[in-house]
Amino acid sequence: MKVGLFIPCYVDAVFPKVGDACYRLLRHLGVDVTYPQGQTCCGQPMANAGFAKDSATLAKRYDDMFKGFDYVVAPSVSCTAFIRLQYPHILKDANHKCHIADNTLDMVEFLHDVLKVDSRLGKFPHKVSLHNSCHGVRELNLSSPGELMEPRFNKIKDLLQLVDGIEVVMPERADECCGFGGMFSIEELAVSKQMGEKKLARHMATGAEYITGADCSCLMHMAGIAAKQQTKPEIEFRHVIEILAEGL
Amino acid sequence: MSTSNDIIGKCRKNIRQRLPRPCLSDIDATVYTDPLEEFIIQATAAGCRIVKDRKKEDLDSIIKECYPDAKVIASALPEVKSATVNPDNIKKAQDLNGTDVGVIEGKFGVAENGAIWFPQEVKERAVDFISENIVALIDEDEIVSNMHQAYQKVTFNDYGYGVFIAGPSKTADIAQVLVMGAQAARSMTIVLLKS
Amino acid sequence: MSTSHSKLAKKFLENQQYADWHDSTFWGLRVKRDKMAAAVPEWEQLREKASQIKRHTLTNLDIYLQKFADAAEKNGVEVHWAKDAEEFNEIVYGILKDNNAKKMVKSKSMLTEECDMNPYLEARGIEVVETDLGERILQLAHQRPSHIVVPATHLTHDDVGELFEKELNTKKGDHDPTYLTYEARLSLRDEFLTADAGMTGANFGIAETGDIVVCTNEGNADMSTSVPDLQIAAIGLEKIIPDYECLAVFVRLLARSATGQPSTTYTSHFRKARPGAKKMHIVIVDNGRSEWLADEDHWETLKCMRCGACMNSCPVYRWSGGYSYSFFIPGPLGINLGMLHDPKKYSGNVSACTLCLGCQNVCPVKINLGEQIYKWRQTLDGLGVANPEKKMICKAMDYVFDNKSVYNTATSCAHIVNNLPSFMVNNGLNPWAYAHKMMKFPKKPFHKDMED
Repeated sequence: MKVGLFIPCYVDAVFPKVGDACYRLLRHLGVDVTYPQGQTCCGQPMANAGFAKDSATLAKRYDDMFKGFDYVVAPSVSCTAFIRLQYPHILKDANHKCHIADNTLDMVEFLHDVLKVDSRLGKFPHKVSLHNSCHGVRELNLSSPGELMEPRFNKIKDLLQLVDGIEVVMPERADECCGFGGMFSIEELAVSKQMGEKKLARHMATGAEYITGADCSCLMHMAGIAAKQQTKPEIEFRHVIEILAEGL
Repeated sequence: MSTSNDIIGKCRKNIRQRLPRPCLSDIDATVYTDPLEEFIIQATAAGCRIVKDRKKEDLDSIIKECYPDAKVIASALPEVKSATVNPDNIKKAQDLNGTDVGVIEGKFGVAENGAIWFPQEVKERAVDFISENIVALIDEDEIVSNMHQAYQKVTFNDYGYGVFIAGPSKTADIAQVLVMGAQAARSMTIVLLKS
Repeated sequence: MSTSHSKLAKKFLENQQYADWHDSTFWGLRVKRDKMAAAVPEWEQLREKASQIKRHTLTNLDIYLQKFADAAEKNGVEVHWAKDAEEFNEIVYGILKDNNAKKMVKSKSMLTEECDMNPYLEARGIEVVETDLGERILQLAHQRPSHIVVPATHLTHDDVGELFEKELNTKKGDHDPTYLTYEARLSLRDEFLTADAGMTGANFGIAETGDIVVCTNEGNADMSTSVPDLQIAAIGLEKIIPDYECLAVFVRLLARSATGQPSTTYTSHFRKARPGAKKMHIVIVDNGRSEWLADEDHWETLKCMRCGACMNSCPVYRWSGGYSYSFFIPGPLGINLGMLHDPKKYSGNVSACTLCLGCQNVCPVKINLGEQIYKWRQTLDGLGVANPEKKMICKAMDYVFDNKSVYNTATSCAHIVNNLPSFMVNNGLNPWAYAHKMMKFPKKPFHKDMED
């Protein structure tokens, strides 16, 4: 099984540690993982802002780069969801055969559903508040959305339970959006800020030392707000894969 | 002015594909082992007072017991001897204004929401709404579990009107505070008739 | 880079105490909805059936409309057809004039809001009295609804108390909701007794029987139609459903989704005029709807039964209020309906969505509201209403991401930002700095690490 690692642009530039954690964890689990050079962006920011057409070249580049792999994995639910759900349309409009959309998985999906990891991982003796990102919940089914009357599950939480010493808690309104929304955070400054502050406050109310989740963009949004507000006590942000790879 | 042909024709032209009607008989609708028990729970939650195990002959005493100050009592039911107005033979609906208690009989109740089905049976159906308080009779054996069963059971007569009523009129339009008695009845007492 | 919605939303959020109250009030409705839905084990099955019934009915609407009209006429009801708002208003005025009606009581109808009926009739000497308490409050306050189910919930009890002191002569300083509701009841009772006509909207029209079905909690639709002599019902053509078997599915979903009740207090079925009353009228309104049937991406918006659950669930609605949207219906539904009605005029609402997609999961008829907003965004550039700055940013991103070397230089140099003085980064020109402290860029991006 050949696995390609996709590290989206903002993870590459702002959160290289998350990319590093993905690589280390996959290697630790014995996965034949490759990081092809020349990656940039999946095109989601433009598409969500209303310029999906402009994403076509990026989609083609991505598809060409990864089409030989059995799976492509990425530590970002919204990029993964965009590739899986929108690339088939975007590439169809651009007359390009789409190869890899269905096999692009978020790291959490890959670990939980493909590798079915159940061995103990490292150690993280901390109280952690879990952030469910909207596209993870409602597009990738990483957890059951609170709005649907279906059996409850949370794949991120399942994986975190493999780490020794961790205490995972959920904030109130666990599935409510943090207000990032890509271009939304620029176009709707006030509402984005408000939603982020309220979401952050609900995470803080759990008494957790860390906030974790499967999407760096939500974490980046809340971390930026926390830093600006200088919230006390200070709360730290870790991508879920960083926690899973801790000490490996 | 447009005609039915104009608008229906436009719809026909714009429909892109015809999709089939889904099967509805396979809905796993909740059925209660004791529909009466659930009906009482739901009707109470909807704001009703429940009077159990009674007969039609007791109606006058029940009205007196529940609404001791009532002066104007409207009913077309022959058992309500204390009725002062008959909604079936008044001249106009407006004459029912000022009714303290309207006494009406429902056909059946619905457990899942505490509603009762009232087809119009008198000339002025306003009695169901204009009365300050409603006393509703229902046979305790006539309770269905859910709205699927209920809509199989509804009947209309020549008046061409029927209503499900679940409790007194209510509103939360001011600051989301629940208040009983918006524009219609301010209270509702359900008398469960023993068969 | 602000839109019409974002500007008004910013203003809304200036009063944080009020914004908190607004959010928790509407979140409260969402919580009630969750509780009700969870108590129905077959909930998700019902939603799927409801969606399928609507898809079936809409794609056979020509047949069902004919059936509905035939059945209604057989019941002795006069059926009218309005292609747009103007025709609708003319028809209603015509009916009132023919019957010499001067005063009309009406229950809540979003369709009459859509058509701006009240001002039209009032300009022609008809007195129109709203009888839903929320709508009555707004009528007295000369405001429009801020929500489709609970239209005046943006007002506090003090707002209403002060309004009633002025308009209904209530006791000074007594702003207790129970007292205020009672005073409104007394005043509206007089209106019911003296009205010449009563109008309702329609939650459903039953094709098989020609019935108009109206759901209310206050009983005002029934008061409006059981006292005056003339009854008029206004119905958007998408509200037709086949029969009572289908109605059961919708009635089970509607109030649970809307207000978290197992049913509304009154579910009223109107088939005929009252004995001795004048002929009953039904006005079927198109106003763009028949065109939308042809729209591959957006026709399913027509499935809507106006429960308002998408608004209550939408965090952007809760944190910006109904009046931040330029269309008269707010929230995810309003964004979509506005674009269907007039995309150029209402494109300023399309930004009001984080694409969280929660609205789609609470929608009892499974309309893909969020996905449609995404699709509307793709059309803004073609309509010439895309924000130029946003367009520029996207083009710039495209340039950087399409060119590996530019991207590599940019990401490798990003850490230089860290060393700039704070005023150059955390300032008003950088929109990110409005809410956030600028992030620290690491020395090396991940791809450099891997290269080394």
